[in-house]
Amino acid sequence: MFSTVTRVTSRAGLKLGMVGGSRAALSIATARKMAKESPASGKRVVAEAGSTTYAALEARLNLNFGGHGVMEQVCTHKSFAQGRVEHNERLEWIGKRVLNLFVGEHLLATYPNLSTEALQDVQHSSFGMSSLAEIGRHFGMQAAMRWEPVSREAPAVGLTKVLGKTVQALVGAIYQRQGEAAARAFVKQHVLSRPVDVESVMQIKNPKVMLVALTRQKGMEHPVARILKETGRFTSSPVFIVGVFCGTKMVGMGFGSSLKMAEHRAAKDALLKYYAKEIKDISVTGDEPDVSLFAQDVVV
Amino acid sequence: MATFRLPNVLNEVIRAHRDQFLRPVQPKNGVGAFVFPCRKLVFNYCERSGSSKSMMEYLQKEATRFASENPQIEVVVQPRPSKHPIVRAFYTNGEQKTKCVRRCSAGEIPEIVKSLRDHSGHKLHRWNRYVISDTPSVRGIYSPFHDKAVYSISDLKTKQ
Repeated sequence: MFSTVTRVTSRAGLKLGMVGGSRAALSIATARKMAKESPASGKRVVAEAGSTTYAALEARLNLNFGGHGVMEQVCTHKSFAQGRVEHNERLEWIGKRVLNLFVGEHLLATYPNLSTEALQDVQHSSFGMSSLAEIGRHFGMQAAMRWEPVSREAPAVGLTKVLGKTVQALVGAIYQRQGEAAARAFVKQHVLSRPVDVESVMQIKNPKVMLVALTRQKGMEHPVARILKETGRFTSSPVFIVGVFCGTKMVGMGFGSSLKMAEHRAAKDALLKYYAKEIKDISVTGDEPDVSLFAQDVVV
Repeated sequence: MATFRLPNVLNEVIRAHRDQFLRPVQPKNGVGAFVFPCRKLVFNYCERSGSSKSMMEYLQKEATRFASENPQIEVVVQPRPSKHPIVRAFYTNGEQKTKCVRRCSAGEIPEIVKSLRDHSGHKLHRWNRYVISDTPSVRGIYSPFHDKAVYSISDLKTKQ
C-alpha cells in the first residue's frame, strides 16, 4: 500500500497530517500554484492531473498496480512533452492485440451463425476506437490524460483516438503486470458488458430473396407468409402482422401498414433471428485462467 | 402530475423502430462493472475569513478520514483567499456541482459532502413518462410468459 498525499507547503498552518498506509487520494495545493494555471480568459480551471488523480483512477477501476507510476504512463500519450517522458505507445500496442483477442473470442462464441465479415464489422462498430473512447470517458480518463493536441484552435481533434489508445494501453498494462486472467476479467466487466448492435452491421437489402436462399441451403421448406393479425385494412392506417412459416414452424414475424411491407419485415426478422442468433451462456470467463476458448483437451 | 399521452399507434411504432437504429441501446453503469460517478471533490476555503470556520474544522477533523474511506475519489484541498468556502464535485460524465458552505454548521458539511459524493452527475430532469425504455414498443414490455411461439401450427395439432 502506498500513501498518496501530496503536500505542498502552505504559508498558513492548515496541516492535515499524513495519510500513511491507506489509499487516499488527497492533495493540498497552494493558491499560488492555482493562480499560475488559470488562463487569461478568466475561466475557472482546476489543477492538472497529479499523482492523486491516477491513484483515484486505479481505485475507481478496482486495480492495484503498486504505485510505480503505471497509471501515469498509461495515461500519457507520446505527444506529451515531445515523447521524452514514459508514454503508453508500447502498452497500447500489446493492449490493442490483447483486447481484440478477447473481444474476438467472445463474439465468435456468442454469434455462431454470423459471417466473419460481419463479425469484423461488429467488432469495429461496437468495440472500435469511438466505443473505447466512450469507455475511457466513463472511467473519468479524460481528466487524467496527458497529451498535446495537434492544433490549439481545435483542442478536441484527436481526443477520441487518444482516449481509445489510453484504454488499450490500460488493458496492456493489466495484461503485462497482472496476467491474462486479470486482463480477461477486466475486459469482460468493462468492455464486453456493453450492448452490441448487430442489426446495424448486417446489410439486408432483399430479405425475401436471402431468406429463400437460406432455407434452401438449410434444407427447410420454402418460406410462406401468412397474416397473423390485421386491423383497419381499408382505412388510412392499417396494421398487418405477418409471420413467415417454413412448414409449420414460424421463423419470423413482422408488422407493416401494407402486406408487402409486413412481409418484408417478417423476412428480415427471420434472417436476423438466424444470423444474429446469440448464445448467452458462453464459457469464456476469467474464472478459468488457463483454459482457452478452443482448447478442449489441452490445458496450459 | 405527470402527463401521459397515448401514442398514435402505427406512427409511434415506426418512429420507435426507426430510432432503434439511430439510437442504439445505451450502456448502463453497473452492468458488468460499476464505475463510481464522482471522481473528484475540491474543498476551497479561506484561511482568514469567518465564513470558512466550520469548513476548516471539517477539513482538520474529517477530511482525511473521508478521503481514505473513498479511495476512488480524488480529494483536493485548496485555499481560495477572500472567498466563501465551497465544495466542488466533478463527475465522470463531465458535469460539475458546486455547493457554498458559508452558512453551514460543522455538522451539516459532512451531509453535503456525502450528497455530492452520491450524486450521479446527471442534471435533474423531469420525466413525463411512466416507463422509460431504450426500446419502446406499443405492443408492451416483454413478458416471458408470452414468449413461446403461439402461432406454431404443430402445437395446435398435438393439442387435439
